[in-house]
Amino acid sequence: MTITVEPSYDDVQMLVDEVWTSFLGSEEPLLPGAPTDLAVGWSAAVTVSGEWHGMVSVELPTGLAEEVTRRMLMVEETLDEDVADAVGELVNMIGGNVKSLMPGPSVLSLPVVAAGRVARPSDSVEVCRLDASWAGTPLLVSVYVRKDA
Amino acid sequence: MTISDSSFAFVSDLARRETAMLYDPGKEYLVEARLLPLAREAGCTDVDAYVLRLQVDAAERAKALDALTINETSWFRDMAPYQAFTELMLPSIVARREHTRHISIWSAACSSGQEAYSLSMLLDEHLPPGWTAQILATDISHKMLARVEAGRYSQVEMNRGLPATSLVKYFSRAGSEWEVNDNLKKMVRTQHLNLSTSFPPLPTFDIVFIRNVLIYFDLDVKRDILRRVGQVISPDGFMLLGSSETTLDLDDHWDREAHGRVQVHRPVGYANVPAFSPQPTPESIAMTGA
Amino acid sequence: MYALIIDDSRAMRSILRRIVTDLGFETLEAADGQEALDHLNAGRIPTLCLIDWNMPVMDGYTFITNVRANSEWRDITLMMVTTESEHGQIVKALAAGAHEYVIKPFTPDAIADKLELLGLVAKAVPA
Repeated sequence: MTITVEPSYDDVQMLVDEVWTSFLGSEEPLLPGAPTDLAVGWSAAVTVSGEWHGMVSVELPTGLAEEVTRRMLMVEETLDEDVADAVGELVNMIGGNVKSLMPGPSVLSLPVVAAGRVARPSDSVEVCRLDASWAGTPLLVSVYVRKDA
Repeated sequence: MTISDSSFAFVSDLARRETAMLYDPGKEYLVEARLLPLAREAGCTDVDAYVLRLQVDAAERAKALDALTINETSWFRDMAPYQAFTELMLPSIVARREHTRHISIWSAACSSGQEAYSLSMLLDEHLPPGWTAQILATDISHKMLARVEAGRYSQVEMNRGLPATSLVKYFSRAGSEWEVNDNLKKMVRTQHLNLSTSFPPLPTFDIVFIRNVLIYFDLDVKRDILRRVGQVISPDGFMLLGSSETTLDLDDHWDREAHGRVQVHRPVGYANVPAFSPQPTPESIAMTGA
Repeated sequence: MYALIIDDSRAMRSILRRIVTDLGFETLEAADGQEALDHLNAGRIPTLCLIDWNMPVMDGYTFITNVRANSEWRDITLMMVTTESEHGQIVKALAAGAHEYVIKPFTPDAIADKLELLGLVAKAVPA
């Protein structure tokens, strides 16, 4: 029998903050925010499978996804494929670090990116939810595990 | 957003009074960078609003002083000093301490402890079997000392100059952080110490690393610190300063010796010290960790 | 001096390209391990490879084992730059022949520090 294990909120918060600060600059800190009804423009998810099974997702409003892309690619204008690439890399970094918090060995999937909300398996349950805001814009990082896990 | 002249003056006076550290005009950006996160945390709109709060809130003042005295550090920072440590200082001390088989090191202004633990890794690899070592890590910030004792570092900190082979050898995962192993922790002891005032009782050190901190003090304080370091270092010991720092024109009690790109400082007359002197103080033996 | 940047994310390749260009490298890029091997097989032999782990077609770990299996490529310095951050994964990559390992996220200084350790860039200006 596998026991459901979940990452601690503090650990997830710390690693998301590190990803944010490293690639988007430290002049605007990532602040914890109240849960909001986020107008999701872009989302991305990676799954972890092996000793631990879970999914990590990032959801961003369009404007924020584009700003992230501009900062990572250092471009003025962003194409949709650029946004998909940058948001995918964001969830790859967060997901890989979440994987290392959990019992291993496990394998990280390649990111799945969607304009709008990415579908999540119906048998999953949210075990960690990080509502945050950056430069006044909300974003959401979630960790899901399988219900029967 | 820029800090006002009056706010900057208040902060630099505070830093000077409490720590003797100098934040001269031109360092506004540094004060801002260090205080802005605290300002946000305290719910202030900008640094000026936060400085107003500092004037009435002693607890917040202590936090601000902590932030102002933190040095950015990385593992094996600048590398050359550590080469001098393994190639020159360590062999020299080992050759002269056969009677005690103990070596005592001071990491002054240790900040979050990367220097102390970098030295402990080198000792683990290069100290002959049967020898013990003690590294005293001191800082003015209690918060930093607590970090050294915990020996835990974030992923971003781990990336800074630590060879991957050392990471896997000396660290294990601890949540989102990495924690240094007990073997190294046993070598490192912490103590609160303000360099600008008279030192508490200290053991005699074979090697003192006091890097990138003298630059923050004015000339008289620098001289006084070097004089007091001279009182706690073995007559045949070594002192290492930051790469932009020197004892030249400061204190004539030190000889300078070049090793590669670094200059090591030795008490004047070190060449005449007989090999089995001085006896270590009982305190330094008592502190043997290993 | 060439650096071959191997990562399936263009955003990450762009970040790494800016960092190593500032450190004096010219750059080649590949979106997966197979594309990177194609560069080597075509005679484009870099001084340094920056290698992501999780990529489509061929992952970074497999790329390293391929490079190490060919003695003509033994002078290439291999540095993983990946979000894989378990202790065991780092050991595995080093055992396969990686020289260094940078965990994502990283700051530009971290890449410079590691390349200094590897003797590929001169020491930065004293702090």
